[in-house]
Amino acid sequence: MRLSLRWKIVGGFGILIVLVAVLGWLTLSLFGSLRSVQREVFRKAIPELVAVDEIVRSFTAQSAAVRGYLISSEGELLDQYQREVGVADEWETRALDLLGSAPESEVLQELVASGDEFQNLVDNQVVPLAADGQRSQAFRVLGQEGSPLINSIERLGEELRLAQDEVVVAAEREVRRRQNQAIAILILVFVAMLVVGLALAILLPRRLVRNLEKLVHAARGIEQGDFDQRLEINSHDEVEELATRFLKMQSGLKRLQQLALQDRELEIAASIQRNLLQRHVPDIPGVRLFPIQRQANLVGGDWYDIEMSQRTLTVAVGDASGKGIAAALMATVALSSLRAERSLGSGPKKVIESANKTLRDATDPDSFTTLIYLTLDLRTGEVRWLNMGHPSPFVHRSGPDGTASGYFVEGPRNKALGWFDEPGLAETVLGLEPGDRLVLFTDGFVEAKSPSGELFGEERLAEVLLRFAPMDPATLEDELIGEVERFAAGKLGDDLTMLVVEYQGTDG
Amino acid sequence: MSQQKIDIEINTDGDHKVIKPTGDLDVYTVGSLRDAIGSMIEEGTTKVVVDLDAVPFMDSSGLGALMGGVRRLREAGGDLAIACTREQHLKLFTITGFGEGVSIAPTVEEAAQGFRG
Repeated sequence: MRLSLRWKIVGGFGILIVLVAVLGWLTLSLFGSLRSVQREVFRKAIPELVAVDEIVRSFTAQSAAVRGYLISSEGELLDQYQREVGVADEWETRALDLLGSAPESEVLQELVASGDEFQNLVDNQVVPLAADGQRSQAFRVLGQEGSPLINSIERLGEELRLAQDEVVVAAEREVRRRQNQAIAILILVFVAMLVVGLALAILLPRRLVRNLEKLVHAARGIEQGDFDQRLEINSHDEVEELATRFLKMQSGLKRLQQLALQDRELEIAASIQRNLLQRHVPDIPGVRLFPIQRQANLVGGDWYDIEMSQRTLTVAVGDASGKGIAAALMATVALSSLRAERSLGSGPKKVIESANKTLRDATDPDSFTTLIYLTLDLRTGEVRWLNMGHPSPFVHRSGPDGTASGYFVEGPRNKALGWFDEPGLAETVLGLEPGDRLVLFTDGFVEAKSPSGELFGEERLAEVLLRFAPMDPATLEDELIGEVERFAAGKLGDDLTMLVVEYQGTDG
Repeated sequence: MSQQKIDIEINTDGDHKVIKPTGDLDVYTVGSLRDAIGSMIEEGTTKVVVDLDAVPFMDSSGLGALMGGVRRLREAGGDLAIACTREQHLKLFTITGFGEGVSIAPTVEEAAQGFRG
């Protein structure tokens, strides 16, 4: 499962952000609950206390005012009493409101009832009695019936205060409890954040850095030419993909290196073959030799050899099977064998026999070489050759009075070298007149293929050779090669090798 | 040379096998033919007919692979024969002289009759 590096990093930060958000939310909700407790206390319990206190104080004041009035008969004290009754009413209403349906409201109701009783007493008995002049009676009533009521009010008020006190104390306890809880949770979350943050900070980069280090190390290896490195990265993200592509690049470089090596080997082989095969064409009186060549590849299996000794010109044109270095090596073996045997003074048949044996022994069963081995007696113009499985030579007769003619010389055919125990050694003999040309070639000329698959063929070759016969060697080469190249639309797979032997005779 | 694979059909016909390659037999494709002949020798079949009916073009590499096959099978006590009707291939066998080194006939049956030994 592939998870992009971007998502890993975003994920890591995302976790941290989530933890911070959780922390924030927890803080807010914890302090929110603290506030609600506070609200409980400040908006209700304390005002309740104050209200109750005010009620009790009011009744006490009422009682004092009435008592004072009874003593001094000052109308102002009665007014004060009335005012206090109003105040007490207000506070009672507020207290009832605040307490709502709390259990303490029953106590409050009792208190209010007592208050009402006291006020009734004062309004209906004490004040009338005093107004009537019966002050001592009024006093007595106030003392006997009013005081217990006031005491009851005070007692109830005390009860209520205690109850509210408890609420406040309980609230304070609850606040402290919640505060501690909040602190504990906050510490927990904070530690969790630290741990997660540290883990991410250490783990995430560590693997990434380690993988990058592996890549850097591998890149250094490439620099130093090591193209066999292994790279193990399994992070399922872009870094792993980079590693995969890096390895592909490495194998590409390795292949290039191998190709470069092959190229170098090929060049070495080519230069060896060039040195071995490319003999300068010797200047031989009585004969004109011109080679026509076009190589399709850097190295190949076509070859020719020229040797002059006394009055015999020996010419060989050969074609090793296959292509490339293998064919080139076979060509080298053939050539070396021919030259070696010839240098011992052996004649053509012995040379060929020896070459066949060497090629049979030295090369694998799939390989063979065809060749024409020719000798020309410069004095007589007699030419003899051994055709070892090779295309027949073409002869161009200049003819008397400019009547030129040309044909492929079908003589006895022997077999290709390197396969048979006895390839046959039948000679073809021909007499050349001055001006006649003998054309030896390899099958590249005949086998050249046009884009439609048609072969150049012997007929076309004969026609072209006749047509170009009057030309000088250099032009002939260009024209001939050009003709074949045009036919093949530039795609020549085989080497073109041709050797023209023009007999000029001994006159002059 | 970088080898290309070509299709090679192999059938059994009595005591010999028939190899029928499809496509050109040149320096790039002879590997397949060589491998096929090699497998035959390995598994003990030494009488093989190669049917060139589906081979439009053959160069010296192809010819060499065939003649190499003849040598190898004969060394293993068997032989290789060739069924061929195409003029350009027959000419190649004639020019190089290999026509006299191996049994060539227009049909597989006739070619098989020319087995040596």
